[in-house]
Order: sequence, then structure tokens, then C-alpha cells
Amino acid sequence: MKELERRSLSIARPVGPAAATAGPVILFTAGGVRFAVAADEVQEVRGGDERTTIRKLKGPEIIDFALQVGLGEGILERLLVLKPGDCALAVTDVERMASIPKVVSLPGLFRGVERQWYRGLLLLENEVVPLVRTEYWRKAFAADTLQGTVHG
Amino acid sequence: MLLTLYREQFMDNTTRFVTFPLGEQRYALDSTQVIELLMPAPVYSFPHTMSSLEGVLVRRGKVIPVCDLREAFGHGPERSFYVVAQCNYLGRREVVAIPVTGDCQLVQGIRGESSGAVEFVNAVLHTGGRAYPLLDIDQIVARCIQPATVVAREAMR
Repeated sequence: MKELERRSLSIARPVGPAAATAGPVILFTAGGVRFAVAADEVQEVRGGDERTTIRKLKGPEIIDFALQVGLGEGILERLLVLKPGDCALAVTDVERMASIPKVVSLPGLFRGVERQWYRGLLLLENEVVPLVRTEYWRKAFAADTLQGTVHG
Repeated sequence: MLLTLYREQFMDNTTRFVTFPLGEQRYALDSTQVIELLMPAPVYSFPHTMSSLEGVLVRRGKVIPVCDLREAFGHGPERSFYVVAQCNYLGRREVVAIPVTGDCQLVQGIRGESSGAVEFVNAVLHTGGRAYPLLDIDQIVARCIQPATVVAREAMR
């Protein structure tokens, strides 16, 4: 009986908070900087055959991602169409999908609009990659309140 | 007995300070605010809007923002260490890494009144016959790290 009680206590013991997980992400570059977006928030990736006409595409509203985060007008060769398909990030390249185990919160000293741009930071082997908060970009684009920046 | 002596001699943080150069002058911080000193390490940068923040260091799976104070304290030689310090920022305890431009020393000394109102300095440290301005890290962070107010750029449509 005592043994059973001890076991149940052991099982019931609370565990520490789990690290936030990103799940599969798509790594892309814009303005020479690498970013990530959760794969399950992307509807489709449109390819290079549309590169010359990306700015004139019909369909989803297009955000020049590099321009909006202050990296200057980007080379737009790929489109990341965000779910449900009404908005797309125009980026330079889509590199690969990856499974990232942990998302680190943006440190509290970053308290500008970047807190809305990013869900957090992914720690790769030799790199820190911002994870894009897609809901901000979709809403901001709809409200026409996108802001640029100068640092970083 | 030895442990007690050790505590009395070395653990009395109220009189211990870290001194380091920033720009052309040497400053001090209360050692209770200093978490660690780091050798130069890669600073990972990404787009953001905060003035004086140049990116983050990664230390034991945590990210530490790096605050470049050259604009406030002037340029010096190449950075030699990062002083990782804790500060209060908008009512929350935060950690910041400050690049310094020379050797860091752990000293014991006496905190004295500052002779006048000097920006970012809240007292003077007297140690070894010398005096060093004692930095107010909370004030530095509050004044130097500010979100930029940039005119919205028109979205590409």
C-alpha cells in the first residue's frame, strides 16, 4: 500500500514548464537576413517563375517583407502565401523546412514593434533566427498600419 | 571558521564593485548588479526598432541583448569583454550585456556622494586612492534603449 502511495505521489509530482515549441518552420531570407515562419501558417510557396511580375500579381495582397522590417526594398523571388490566402510575404528565397525544438522569447528590452513582428527567436547552431508572427502581418496589412524600422 | 572568514572577506557584496572602461573613462558598477563577464562572442543581429541594441548574445540557451553605449560614452578601442548586468526596465528585471573596452577589475571600495549631477552616474566609488563614477544602469537602459519612431513605410502592393 505504501509502495503504491509512493508511486502515485511520484507520478503526480508537477513537472517544470515545457519550452515553447515552434513545430516545423520554413526558413527564408529577405534583405540578406534569415527568418522563419511556422509551416502550418503558410498556405503555399510560389516559385521563381513569377519573379518578374511579383509586384503586379493578382490574388493575395503582397508585403515586401524586407522593406517592412527596415532592410530596404527586397529582391522578391518567392511568395509565402499565408493562410487563409489573402496575404503573402514576398521574400528573396525559401531555403528549407526545419523542425526547431525551442522558441526563445524576445528579451524584454526589445519593446518596439518587433514584439509584434516576431513570435520569438529560434536558436540554431550558429544563428539566431526571428520567428515571424503571421497574424500581425495579416492584420497590420489589412489595417494598413505597417511600420518600418532602422536598426538591426 | 574558514567559511565564515571567507564570507566576511569575500561575500560582502555591498562594498564590492566591478570597474571597467567605457570610451575614454573608467566606470564602476555595484557587483550585485553584475551577473558575469563574458569574453567577446558573436552578436546575432536581426531587424528591430530599439536604439542602442545591436543584437543578442546566446549564453547557455538564453539570449542576452547587447547594448552598445558608444553613442553615450564615446568610442574607445575594440571591445574586450561584455559586462552582463541586471537592471530594472519598466518595472521588470532584465539582463543586458554592455561591451567594454579594456580590462575589468573586481575591487572593494566605498560609495561616496557624487559631486554634481552627472548623467548616468549616481555616486562615486573610492578605491585605492582613486575615484570612479558609479553608473546607474537603470537610468542608462531607460534613456539609451528606446523604440525608434519611424514614419511608416508604404506597403508594396
